[in-house]
Amino acid sequence: MSIRLGTSDIAKYPFLREASEYVRQTGFGFEEFDRPEMQYIVDRAARRIEQEIVTGQVFDEFDERTEILTFLISLMIVKSLGMEPILRKYSLFESMRAEKFLVRDLEQLKSKNEKRQLLLFKIFEELFKVKVDIDTTDSRLFKVRVVDYLLRASHFHEQEWKLVNRLVHGGYVYLDADETVRLIRVELSALIYDRVKEMSIPSVPDAIKSRTENLKEKLRPYFEYRTYKVSDYPPCVKHAIEVMNRGENLPHSARVMLATYMLAIEKPVDEIIALFQNAPDYNERITRYQVQHLAGEKGSRTRYSVPSCDKLRNENLCFATAECSGIINPVQFGRRARNNDNAGR
Amino acid sequence: MTMQADNNTPAGRTKTPGTTAIAVQSVFRKYYFTQAARIEVPDRIEEREFGYMRFGDSFPAAGGAMVRHLAFRSVGELVASLIRDPPADVFCSNAYYRFPANEMREKEWRGADLIFDIDGKDFDLPCVPSHSYLVCRECGFSDLQENLHGPQAGLSFVCPSCKASRPNITSLPCTKCIDASKNEAIRLVSLLSGDFGIELDRIKVYFSGNNGFHLHVSDDSFNQLDSQARSDIVGYLTGNGLMPESIGVRKAGDRGFAIRFPRGGISYGWRARVAKKLKIDASSEKKLEHIVSQKGGYAGFRTELERIAREEGLVIDPQVTTDTHRVFRMPGTLNSKSGLAKVRCGNIGSFDPFTEACLLEDQEIITTAKADVKVRLRGKTFRLEVKERSILLPAYAAVYLACKGLAELEISS
Repeated sequence: MSIRLGTSDIAKYPFLREASEYVRQTGFGFEEFDRPEMQYIVDRAARRIEQEIVTGQVFDEFDERTEILTFLISLMIVKSLGMEPILRKYSLFESMRAEKFLVRDLEQLKSKNEKRQLLLFKIFEELFKVKVDIDTTDSRLFKVRVVDYLLRASHFHEQEWKLVNRLVHGGYVYLDADETVRLIRVELSALIYDRVKEMSIPSVPDAIKSRTENLKEKLRPYFEYRTYKVSDYPPCVKHAIEVMNRGENLPHSARVMLATYMLAIEKPVDEIIALFQNAPDYNERITRYQVQHLAGEKGSRTRYSVPSCDKLRNENLCFATAECSGIINPVQFGRRARNNDNAGR
Repeated sequence: MTMQADNNTPAGRTKTPGTTAIAVQSVFRKYYFTQAARIEVPDRIEEREFGYMRFGDSFPAAGGAMVRHLAFRSVGELVASLIRDPPADVFCSNAYYRFPANEMREKEWRGADLIFDIDGKDFDLPCVPSHSYLVCRECGFSDLQENLHGPQAGLSFVCPSCKASRPNITSLPCTKCIDASKNEAIRLVSLLSGDFGIELDRIKVYFSGNNGFHLHVSDDSFNQLDSQARSDIVGYLTGNGLMPESIGVRKAGDRGFAIRFPRGGISYGWRARVAKKLKIDASSEKKLEHIVSQKGGYAGFRTELERIAREEGLVIDPQVTTDTHRVFRMPGTLNSKSGLAKVRCGNIGSFDPFTEACLLEDQEIITTAKADVKVRLRGKTFRLEVKERSILLPAYAAVYLACKGLAELEISS
């Protein structure tokens, strides 16, 4: 890639190759992380990971001078921790952090020839193969090709992302800054994930090693999670649990399906909340409120029912097997078999 | 040619087609022998999977075996195979594979053309019962649907001849049916080019060979879209899932809704179609507010929007477009539901399938009608009555009626 970036850009987007190139050019060596004056940055990196993993909040401090090294150290720590769910969660939060900068930068674009505009569009095009352009009549609107949009947004489950609900004209889909950036969230997260995966560290400096050990102890309780026996559930629920067990992101509509199903089979709220524990963006307080809301205990006091098979099919959440034959709602799954069993007794 | 075993015919058993089937097959053979140039060679032919529908012994009442996983290196190889053993129907995959003749999981998918199917029978036109026939699957007795039980016939069919209860319904599409699918094809072309920006010369429109139109998009950028993305395209074209929010109506506040036109306005795409139906423009927020109130708020407006979407949305077969491994009727080949060919439409507005797709020879064949029937092909009207003895009809008309299950043919000696 050949984007010419200033230091502040690299600080905002430290996952770009230019960031490591920048560090290399300064002649900085890994052993320097052991120097006392670097302790602050090592601590900052550890704090960044801890905040994102434990509280589920994006680390929003920004310090142009130390940002690149903080990112580099946090990659080393995550790599040294060697825990897949942490890596996934960290990648997601780092991408959400970068998203904020991208949205802000896009929103500040005014004229078509602005250098920053070209730069941002280049990031989209060269890293994510999405050609973004600015609308000629409204500079707050961006346009991406229909195909580029579909390749990404068709996998989002929220109805608002369906093409029918978008402004489509002349081969382009028109989006605001937020939406444009949201479009590449998954790829951004994957890019950071790959950066960690492909990183080779010949020897981890002692300062980072000891901080990693310390962090590992702190994070251990959060990742001693249960994996749930999934064999008795309908395939859609089974799939959602499997995604959760892998620590991957599950779309909102699938989470609603999972929670309402578990409520319908009368699983205790605490156990339902625990099911979501591995989600990259897990927050116990928010999850508890949401599950209680679906149970009709909070908010509108309406108890939500399990989405029908039809609805799940429309949202691409259906993974029907032969055993699903004849049912119209996941709660009916296995009922016939159970009834037959009972009848046979 | 490379191929795998016939999927549906048990090993060692060969079905013998009846005389009508043999006569039709013989006419099909002559077509492929004399008019092979009409077969349109697909791009990257060596990466395509081909499929045949064989002639069944009780053609056309029951289809023969389907053969898939065929591959050809050239159109010459394909034509030779069609002449050697003419199938009832010929299909070619919209997908490209590394190994097209292998089983599905071993083919290695490399992309697929974007395709659309518009079927006349999906329009539920009032004229249909007046030209649809019920054909008994057991004895072949047939009569006009409306003569038997009125428009609802078929729901409780009892064959007057053999008392069997399983009919096939066959339709002789009229110009109204063809015009309905034609209009839909024209609207589809307009949406693909206007909204999706696909260049017109990349959209090929074909008459399906029976009662509808097929569209093939040869724009490489769409080839890599998976089934889900194609389903999103179908949703867009049909208007399925259109939300009030997309036109600026959202749930809010005490009144239950709030209005703010979306950024980007309401001048294009679905927003423009809805605005036109509601007779509003970018300055009509108040008017829209009034309309939503009149409809009973957010929920009522959503129902109204669904109605507009059904009215304005296209009628296309979603399965065809979302299937990225489909074998689709091949351009230039014959359709065994009619004996007409799937042909490219130069000017769809003036296209007349009963002339331009009616390409079989006119050598006469002894034909016995199974129902009183009237059909107009190549500008000539043919009237047949059951009470008449066998008559001689040109092959294109005889085969058309035989394919519809309304006539039996004899093999000329």
